[in-house]
Amino acid sequence: MFTFLRRRMYTSLIPLLVVLFGVFLLARLTGDPTNLYLPVSATPDQRAEFAAENGLDKPVWQQMLDYLSGVVHLDFGESLKTGQSAASMALNAFPATLQLAFVTMLLAVLGSVILGCWAAYRPNSLADRISSLLSMTAASVPDFWFAITGIWIFSVVLGWLPTSGTGSTLAWVLPIATLMIRPLGVLTQVVRGAMVSALSAPYVKLARSKGAGDLRVVTHHALRNAAAPALTVAGDLTVGLVNGAVIVEAIFGWPGIGKLMIDSILQRDFAVLQAAVLLTAVSIFVLNIAIDAGYALLDARVREKVTV
Amino acid sequence: MHAAGLLPAGRRRALAAGLVAATLAVVSAGCSVANTTSSDAASPNTLRIVLPQEPPTLEPCDASLTSTGVVVRSNITEPLVERNPGTGDLEPKLADSWQQVTPTTWRFAIHPGVVFSNGKPFDATDAAFSINRTLDASIACDVNGYVFDDSKLEVTAVDPATVEIRTPVADPILPLRVSFIEMVPRTTDSTDKVRIPIGTGPYMVDYWDAGQKLALKANPNFGGTRPEYTRAIYQWRTEGSVRAAMVTNDEADLATSLGPEDGAGDLGVAYTNNETTALRMQATEPPLDDIRIREAIDHSINRTGIVKALFQGLGTPAAELVAKGIVGYNDQLRPTSYDLSTAADLVSQAKADGVPVGKQIRLIARTGQFPKINEVVEVIQNSLDKIGLNVKIEMMDTSGQMQYQIRPFPKAGPVLLMVQHGNQAGDTQFTVDQYMLSEGYQSTYGTTAYDDEIAAAEAKTGDARQAALAQVLADEPAKIRQYAYIAHMQAVLALSPSVSYEPNSATGDEMRLAEMTHATQQNNA
Repeated sequence: MFTFLRRRMYTSLIPLLVVLFGVFLLARLTGDPTNLYLPVSATPDQRAEFAAENGLDKPVWQQMLDYLSGVVHLDFGESLKTGQSAASMALNAFPATLQLAFVTMLLAVLGSVILGCWAAYRPNSLADRISSLLSMTAASVPDFWFAITGIWIFSVVLGWLPTSGTGSTLAWVLPIATLMIRPLGVLTQVVRGAMVSALSAPYVKLARSKGAGDLRVVTHHALRNAAAPALTVAGDLTVGLVNGAVIVEAIFGWPGIGKLMIDSILQRDFAVLQAAVLLTAVSIFVLNIAIDAGYALLDARVREKVTV
Repeated sequence: MHAAGLLPAGRRRALAAGLVAATLAVVSAGCSVANTTSSDAASPNTLRIVLPQEPPTLEPCDASLTSTGVVVRSNITEPLVERNPGTGDLEPKLADSWQQVTPTTWRFAIHPGVVFSNGKPFDATDAAFSINRTLDASIACDVNGYVFDDSKLEVTAVDPATVEIRTPVADPILPLRVSFIEMVPRTTDSTDKVRIPIGTGPYMVDYWDAGQKLALKANPNFGGTRPEYTRAIYQWRTEGSVRAAMVTNDEADLATSLGPEDGAGDLGVAYTNNETTALRMQATEPPLDDIRIREAIDHSINRTGIVKALFQGLGTPAAELVAKGIVGYNDQLRPTSYDLSTAADLVSQAKADGVPVGKQIRLIARTGQFPKINEVVEVIQNSLDKIGLNVKIEMMDTSGQMQYQIRPFPKAGPVLLMVQHGNQAGDTQFTVDQYMLSEGYQSTYGTTAYDDEIAAAEAKTGDARQAALAQVLADEPAKIRQYAYIAHMQAVLALSPSVSYEPNSATGDEMRLAEMTHATQQNNA
């Protein structure tokens, strides 16, 4: 198992470094932040002073070396806008995104298991049709459309939910519902497919012949074996939630890492953007390893493959 | 596959227990969201305002920035004199009176008994400090460049009740410039900008959760009439439809910067603001360096159609860069006609004379700068395509677009830049100095003769000044034609039925909370 984890860590470091360099370079390609932070009348001297103060007067490769040197010492720089530590801003924002992602995935997994099992057990039933509609919708409709439409229907027309913000329990509903559509649709199809295979497997027939009831067959026999592929997809979808969170948090005013990224991009707050992306990338890196470890724990064949 | 490969029962139970514990942790937190530290219970005396963006700073000497001024000006801090947006007249605020004692010397008589929100009294020393601090180039105040053009002034407190300002040359509109300087205590950091300002206004900062909320509370030391609302909570949402929905859903009392289609419905209030939209043509680069091409572009803009179809009538076609009510506004000017035939002829003539009309022109605009901006630039590009010009649209965010709007300009070939200018000061000088002088911060082109005409007009006072500045505006299309004016804009805000407020042309730059009152049934009717 340790060999497996060590290998996964090494292979995951490469994309992490690509993200580190990529964000640094792309951020600087978006242009000089000076105009956002100095008045229109700023003199060339003031512009030069601003650039020097923030290390923007150096060649990009040197800025990159300075940044990497800071990262090694866990110094991620300061926000151009607030002067606060970029790392603390990112760390403060991250739990709000984790909360959103965790609850979203929990509900998506529960919903997909119920819908997927039902759809597999009763092909062409209402549940089967709902699961198909969900997956098609999830695959074709963007998050921001769900968000705006949700606000219009549930906040403006019906007045049931707040449009945005974090002031009440109800404020969770629309962001979670928006983020949940995609993982719920995809996972339902995965669970359904895996369950269809499992329900026709010999051990399920054996269990039935021994007198096991429908519910026991589904939950104790078929679902166990359908869980592994669902877990892998659920992990990938959790990673994808971070992308969705950027849009959803911006629309709903949710104080998470996605909103921080958007704000820092618009403000050309390079240090904060880099810290936010790096923290997100590291989290995805850890999550991927956890998913792989979980998959290996679930499936003996995976364990055997990686330890050979 | 056989079930043997699955988790042992013990591990399954541990995993389930972990999930349950994590879920309980979220639920037991009362569904409170991380990274939220302050909460405000709704109260009838709290105004809830939603803006399109967070103020980048609350520094009073940056109050000429729209997103800062809308919160700070006349709410937290106050100037010596202020311009009435309705009449255009200067009125006393922290100064009771002012006079020009010599052509280059002005004196302001300070209103007695004024106290800052920190309890310290305000006098001429604070006024002199505030003005000097704003003019101090090392702090890089936005007001300095915008209003004073980095002029060198001598400011002294003659006595506790009198502040004197000496200018290098006669400045007939100095009091108007001074109306942009917010008064701060002499103890304010004089070498750096402040995060939480202290002022004499009816409100003071309660807390500022960066990225989340900004709360103001009534200033207990305010000497004027107490405002009806004792608190104000500002939030920001980028989506106009979300801002409008917050008001219709009673989550906010007022939402600004809405488009006609954002869904404010009956709660939407349209009002004329100071803003004028225009295309700035970079007349230093071919083919835009040929005035016939610039004239052709001007004739290609269907202003009436844009206002009617895209702005839903919220605006009027423009013939100049300043709006009605500004000193120098020329009411005799008429918008350039929409005439594609004439425009195509002008392009053909230029082409025959060797002008490279096929060279690609970049049409740069800022996403979200005003409602329907994407459609406006598409309509314009379509017209320019019809008259034989090669135009490519580039939508940018604020930072990207500002690189092309403000000197030093990048070497980027011929650029048509969509600009929106709001003259907050009430005098055309503040527009032409920035946008029309050869070396104006936001001007790409001019001539010495036109610069001289501007300077001569700005030296005049009274009716002569009005006439001369109006002539400057009339001469721009004829002599320079750096701009193709599009529309004098109207803004929309959503207002809760429980609040009574009459927006004016300055609302976008300075939204006075003290003018907001509880609505009565009659108000709502």
